[in-house]
Amino acid sequence: MTAIHQFHPTLAPGDAISNHVLALAARAREWGHESHAYAVDVKPGVATEVLPYRRLFRAVKPEDLLVLHFSMGHEVFDQLVKLEARKVLVYHNITPPRYFVGINPHASAHAQMGLRQLQAIAPRIDLAIGVSEFNRTDLERAGYRNTARVPILIDWKMYDVAPDPEVLRHWETRPTLLLFVGRISPHKRQDELIRLLGYYRRCIDPEAELVLVGNHRDQPQYYERLTALAAQLGLADAVTFTGSVSTAELVAFYQIGSCFISLSEHEGFAVPLLEAMRFGRPIVAVDAAAVGETLGGAGLLLPQRDVAEAAEASSLLLERADLREAYQTKATARLRDFDTEVIARQTREALAL
Amino acid sequence: MTEHDAVDIDALVAEVKERVRRRRASGAYGAEVDALLRTPLPGGGPLHADRLNDPIGALEDVLGTEYYYDPRSRRRWLGPVITIARRGLMWLLRWWIVGMQERQERVNELTLQALRDLSERPSPRFGERLGELERKWRRHTEDEVATTMRLRPFAERFSGDPATIRAQAVPFVPLFKGRRRVLDLGSGRGTFLLLMRDEGIGAYGIDRDRDLVEDSVSQGLEAVCADAEEHLRSLPDRGLDGLFSAHVAEHLEPGTLIEIIRQARRVLRPGSPIVMATPNPRTLTVGAHTFWLDPSHRKPIPPDLFQFYLESEGFVDIRVTTYAESGQRLSEDVPDPTVRRNVHLLNETLFGDRDYAVIGHAPA
Repeated sequence: MTAIHQFHPTLAPGDAISNHVLALAARAREWGHESHAYAVDVKPGVATEVLPYRRLFRAVKPEDLLVLHFSMGHEVFDQLVKLEARKVLVYHNITPPRYFVGINPHASAHAQMGLRQLQAIAPRIDLAIGVSEFNRTDLERAGYRNTARVPILIDWKMYDVAPDPEVLRHWETRPTLLLFVGRISPHKRQDELIRLLGYYRRCIDPEAELVLVGNHRDQPQYYERLTALAAQLGLADAVTFTGSVSTAELVAFYQIGSCFISLSEHEGFAVPLLEAMRFGRPIVAVDAAAVGETLGGAGLLLPQRDVAEAAEASSLLLERADLREAYQTKATARLRDFDTEVIARQTREALAL
Repeated sequence: MTEHDAVDIDALVAEVKERVRRRRASGAYGAEVDALLRTPLPGGGPLHADRLNDPIGALEDVLGTEYYYDPRSRRRWLGPVITIARRGLMWLLRWWIVGMQERQERVNELTLQALRDLSERPSPRFGERLGELERKWRRHTEDEVATTMRLRPFAERFSGDPATIRAQAVPFVPLFKGRRRVLDLGSGRGTFLLLMRDEGIGAYGIDRDRDLVEDSVSQGLEAVCADAEEHLRSLPDRGLDGLFSAHVAEHLEPGTLIEIIRQARRVLRPGSPIVMATPNPRTLTVGAHTFWLDPSHRKPIPPDLFQFYLESEGFVDIRVTTYAESGQRLSEDVPDPTVRRNVHLLNETLFGDRDYAVIGHAPA
């Protein structure tokens, strides 16, 4: 029986790509396949499930399926595409280098290399899957002929955990809590969210606070500048950077957040939008990249980034229970499109397993 | 309504914009909040993605920044070795790097300058091409009315004699009796102004031909060199109590003529007369022949149309009167009444009056 080998340069607990890789590996085993995940950099917390990438070169047989998850360039891809096996690339998108220029030259160079590599390996890939239509179009532009769109496989059961009591206790009595989930990175425009909080407190609710859930390890420069901005605007006490969180903490933040706001300019898929729907949070998002596609009408989508309008939009949602209810109905329907079983079936069909 | 349509996103976006507008109006969203929203990210330049909105400005800033590479490695054991190796390489390659850097700086400087030039000069040779178009357009407008024609011999051959012209204007004099400020639009040789002076009516003229204006002034008449439309625009409301204009309308584009009539309506006092005379194209020998003897004529104006122009601009008591009989006519001296009627009709059509005037009054 075909063995399924998946590779992504980094696998870490809690990030969307790693969750997707591990969920798919578990599914493949359910379907009766031998299945493993491989990485170059294995972060603590997933180590037991992930094998070092060097093992791949010995493990892959011609009848096997090699699934390469691509979200950054890495020299290992150049070697892996030479392996004899059916090769499927799953594209999670690369953040355009322009967002890192002048702020994190390392990330910018990396993104540039990634985009170049994506094009270079195209001829050796049998099928390229975009996790959104936006990504699939990118693949076509990069020279991939055989493409498909299959969303990210989310194991919704993982959210069925008790919310972290510490987080709940700390935040429960707080007023309006604006929430954004996503790693700290210039393209997600957390700087604009901080300005938005400034507007919100001046014009709408002086007690409002902002919680930015997300890892800031990869963008220390931007993170430092964000904290300086919050301090300069007198918002140091009103903006919380949580850093990496556990699932229980994440669930707690979704439960206590009043409104999820995304001013992100680039998303290849945006799992947090679906998570916000799962936890019944009203959503305000600026249309960019795959945001509108993933949202699918289950949140207030603003056509352009205007901080004042985004703030007013979230206040509007918080005032109007009828609107929140209408959006929640839509969200419930939208989540059915990303049901684990539905996506697993689509993935299996696309991979011809 | 389906479940999918339960939210009207356009209405929501409109409401959001309205809320922002109200915050502005109430003063809550004022200059202070504006400044807050524009606060730059501290600790460095603006985000590159934002700078792309003003690439030339950003380029100037970026070219002005120094690039610094820190060769120190932070690895615990190998670090010092790597640092020494990097420094060594940098030292060995420095002349190569410096040479490249120097050339790149020149390229950058030239590129920036070229971009600046281009942004100020939106298209290559733009000025030159615009100049060419303007020249051609000017030439076209001049050619259309034959400004290159020799005017003196033309006038000698085709202009009517002053006595006839004066006689033709006499029937209109009673309309202007007792008026104090009548304007002759296109006063030419001053024939009508002289008639007005003789009748004791206050009148002045304007004409675009400087020589003719000077002639009039030398005869003691009040005349100025001006453009008809511009002059009327410069007059105050109800500043005139009569307007006469013979053989000007056929030199104008229809739009300009309408604007002149509109301005006339504005500057004429209630009850003041307006008389505008022009060749009568209802007479076929005029419309098909004599009208075109002047290459600066634009197009003939049928009397019904001229009457409509005055009506639609609010003039009242409008009538059309024809004058200047044709020199030749077919003889109607025939016994058969049917033939006589036909010949009469033919005379009216071919040899009717050569000019007409449309007469109206500013409403009381």
